[in-house]
Amino acid sequence: MRIAFVGKGGNGKSSIAGSFARLLARAGDPVLALDVDTLPGLSYALGLGLVGDAGLPAELAERREKIGWVMRKPVSAEELMEQHALRGPDGIRFMQLGKLPGNVRPGSSVAFRHVLETFRKPGWSMVADLAAGTRQSSGGWASFAETVAVVVQPSRAALIAARRLRTFIPAETRVGLVINLARSGQPLGSEQIASELQLPLWGEVPYDEEVAAADLAGVAPIDSAPGSPAMVEIARLLSRLREEGAR
Amino acid sequence: MKIGVVGKGGAGKTTTAALVARTLARQGHSVVALDCDANPNLGLALGFGAEATERLAGIRQALDEENAEHAPTPAEMLARFGADGPDGIRLAVVSKIEKPNPG
Repeated sequence: MRIAFVGKGGNGKSSIAGSFARLLARAGDPVLALDVDTLPGLSYALGLGLVGDAGLPAELAERREKIGWVMRKPVSAEELMEQHALRGPDGIRFMQLGKLPGNVRPGSSVAFRHVLETFRKPGWSMVADLAAGTRQSSGGWASFAETVAVVVQPSRAALIAARRLRTFIPAETRVGLVINLARSGQPLGSEQIASELQLPLWGEVPYDEEVAAADLAGVAPIDSAPGSPAMVEIARLLSRLREEGAR
Repeated sequence: MKIGVVGKGGAGKTTTAALVARTLARQGHSVVALDCDANPNLGLALGFGAEATERLAGIRQALDEENAEHAPTPAEMLARFGADGPDGIRLAVVSKIEKPNPG
């Protein structure tokens, strides 16, 4: 499965993507988890804590006249993963866009994009967490994915972001909606949001105090609150996508 | 006074910026609100409504599309691309991504 999580900032992409990746790995798929954000987030939800060294060396790529940025030497995404991806719980491998904090050199970013677009190790899944908002999706950073989950919390601003995001996702991509931070009796119902966005409702992850506590502590909710309602719903999302044969 | 509001996604930058802008305007200050997010929502929080927020064009994109003889001044940009809202606030969107931009 090659899946990207997109959405407005603070809607819970990283929490969901990290938990989803862990559950996918436990289900038997080797997983490459990719943080496409220059700010840390996904590594916490994966259970790796704050990591500063999961970016690729900037020297891997160079800028050539009239051509632009290219890889300096031919190197496969699979090799780069083997050499540079950190090892996390449940056998997950983890890479991020650049070295933290916030110091992303162009070469690192180009090499990372190379991995994103060409990593095709048989049997492996890719789970990517994109930066908040629309900029990366408009630049094609989600186009590696065959499945895109748009994460939306029930707010008007999140809906607007989701509608804009939709226009940047290639037509052949399978796109669905994951409502996050849902509360019972919310004024804008999840079904109504799905209908407004014309997206299939893939999941409805509830607001969950245990996940909020994990966020505060910087630990993975899948470790600290494995049986919480939010984690149960993310497991259901995974089963659903697998049953539907998501690639 | 020139204030920038920054922070992580979802932490409440837009809501904070809008509250500060509306409060200043109600105290009698002339306020220009600039939405510098490529996914702009400040209009919503200021009370412009969803439709008016969506209608606002990004200044950068609008200028890119025309062959400007001369670069407009900031005041001209505000006059041409801004909109008036509650408490007399003038809102403009700096940059709004609406088309795929590979690379």
